[in-house]
Amino acid sequence: MAKETIVIGLGNPLMADEGIGVVLIERLEILAREGKIPNADRIRFYDGGTGGMNLLHVLAGRRKAVLIDCARMGTEPGTIRRFTPDQVQTIKQLAHLSLHEVDILKVLDISRQLGECPEEVVFFGIEPLEIRQRMSLSPLLHAQIPHYLQTLLKELSLSSNLDS
Amino acid sequence: MSANIQINVHHVTRLEGHGNIVVNIRNGTIEKCQWQVPEAPRFFEAMVRGRRWDDIQTIVSRICGICSITHSLASTKAVEDALGLQVTEQTDMLRILMHYSEQLQSHTLHVGYLVAPDLFGEKSVVPLVAKAPDAVKKIIKAHRIANQWSDLLAGRTTHPVTLTPGGMTKIPTAQELKDLQKTLKEIVPDLVAICEVVHSVADRMPAFERPTEYISLRQDNPPTYTFYHGGIVSSDGYGPVHIRDWESVANEYVSPQSTAKWCRWHRDSYAVGALARFNNNGHLLSPLGKKVADMFGLKKGCCNPFMNNVAQLAEAAHVVEVSIELIDKLLTKGLKDEKVKVTPRAGRGSGCVEAPRGILFHTYEFNKKGECIAANICIPTNQNHANIQKDFEKFVPEYMHLGEDGLRHGMEMLVRSYDPCISCSTHMLNVTFVK
Repeated sequence: MAKETIVIGLGNPLMADEGIGVVLIERLEILAREGKIPNADRIRFYDGGTGGMNLLHVLAGRRKAVLIDCARMGTEPGTIRRFTPDQVQTIKQLAHLSLHEVDILKVLDISRQLGECPEEVVFFGIEPLEIRQRMSLSPLLHAQIPHYLQTLLKELSLSSNLDS
Repeated sequence: MSANIQINVHHVTRLEGHGNIVVNIRNGTIEKCQWQVPEAPRFFEAMVRGRRWDDIQTIVSRICGICSITHSLASTKAVEDALGLQVTEQTDMLRILMHYSEQLQSHTLHVGYLVAPDLFGEKSVVPLVAKAPDAVKKIIKAHRIANQWSDLLAGRTTHPVTLTPGGMTKIPTAQELKDLQKTLKEIVPDLVAICEVVHSVADRMPAFERPTEYISLRQDNPPTYTFYHGGIVSSDGYGPVHIRDWESVANEYVSPQSTAKWCRWHRDSYAVGALARFNNNGHLLSPLGKKVADMFGLKKGCCNPFMNNVAQLAEAAHVVEVSIELIDKLLTKGLKDEKVKVTPRAGRGSGCVEAPRGILFHTYEFNKKGECIAANICIPTNQNHANIQKDFEKFVPEYMHLGEDGLRHGMEMLVRSYDPCISCSTHMLNVTFVK
């Protein structure tokens, strides 16, 4: 039986701030193991990496999905912003030349068409400072990790309250 | 119609791994016809330098979200070669089973999500869900099963965690393998149905041919349609070359139109991928794999790059069929918990496996503490770049009568047929707020 909430961290930790989603999912998993996340047994924490279309399958059968991703949103670097898919429009242009081009918003479209999409989908976008070949975050984003975790925990506590 | 054509498909949404199609035709004369790949080269090699032998796999698995198992396997084999490690028959079989899952995963994804929309005249898989719902559902089911299969063997769908030089950190139970086998048996009719649907629109694939050298692994002892063992061979009759000598096959060179290195062996270019494997090993496909190839009239010696998609379908059927047998062998022998002990040493080693999109090479050198001091990775898509260019040079004059839109679409389909790994090392959202 699929856990009712899935929290997915997206990105590539080899590309500096691009990996923020994966870094945060690792931290959340630790907090869950330490018992610091209420109802963590109902939540699956998932390192989505750059798996793209594979996410279609882990989204299926959930009630809620929380997606954490590096996002160019036109905000200050380091900003974390909560939004739902209907609040944004992608300005990413895909040439559709390769399987490796992924737009998670399109994956959600397909999921919806198949009738498998969680009823609640929430994004946490984090504006990057540096996208380059490096296996660590920029100091700016690194320093904000506690703030990001607090924001995410607030969301998850909200889910837990609603669930119980 | 074709007097003046300007095509500029610029894949500008990524920082890494763009692929641009540029064509200028003036008064019926082709002035420019290029496959441009402005990719930042070789950065993963720099990242693994200084890392321990048991860290490398975790890092390189992030090179690609689609072929992460393949990168991990090539890397693990290279480390084992450098450190002089032998793996057990059980480890070998489990890794091959893991690798098959990625072939099914990637091939169904490619044919279903990227090629089928072309054949059905849709821009992407999104509208295809409404147009051909049954076919899309079957494709998604096959892809989902492949993902669960990867989860079981690799520990997760992408970026595997069960591989370690010398062995495996976790193995499935006999019951889990039995369940997987049952699922694979059940998926066979769906795979056949997917092939039949693609076959019904296969006449929309251009009948374009260009004599090409095809490079892949070949395993002679025992003869196997291999993705994992063997030496490097050419459809022109050369090889097998030992995988440690892969650099003498790839002959990487710099092209002015690309920052990604290009490759050539006996001709100006060569191709890798499912069609290359089929051309070198097609007679060794499983019965169902052969049946799929026959359905489409795919025969060894085919040099129509669009038929790579058909070879992928044949391979999808093949890996399912041979995995059912492989699970029987594993269960008959009985699963054992095997401990791995590794003593680092200085050395150089190479690993080579077939990614879904073609042959992949990793080479590392380690100092006596087991720290990586040099790395060289050659991905399949880079090996195909020169061949895509050569295809373009024949394709454009033959198809320019289609006009700008028709020609551009044909060229995009041609690039897609190679199933290129135009790097997924970055993927981020790029959004504007509407509410």
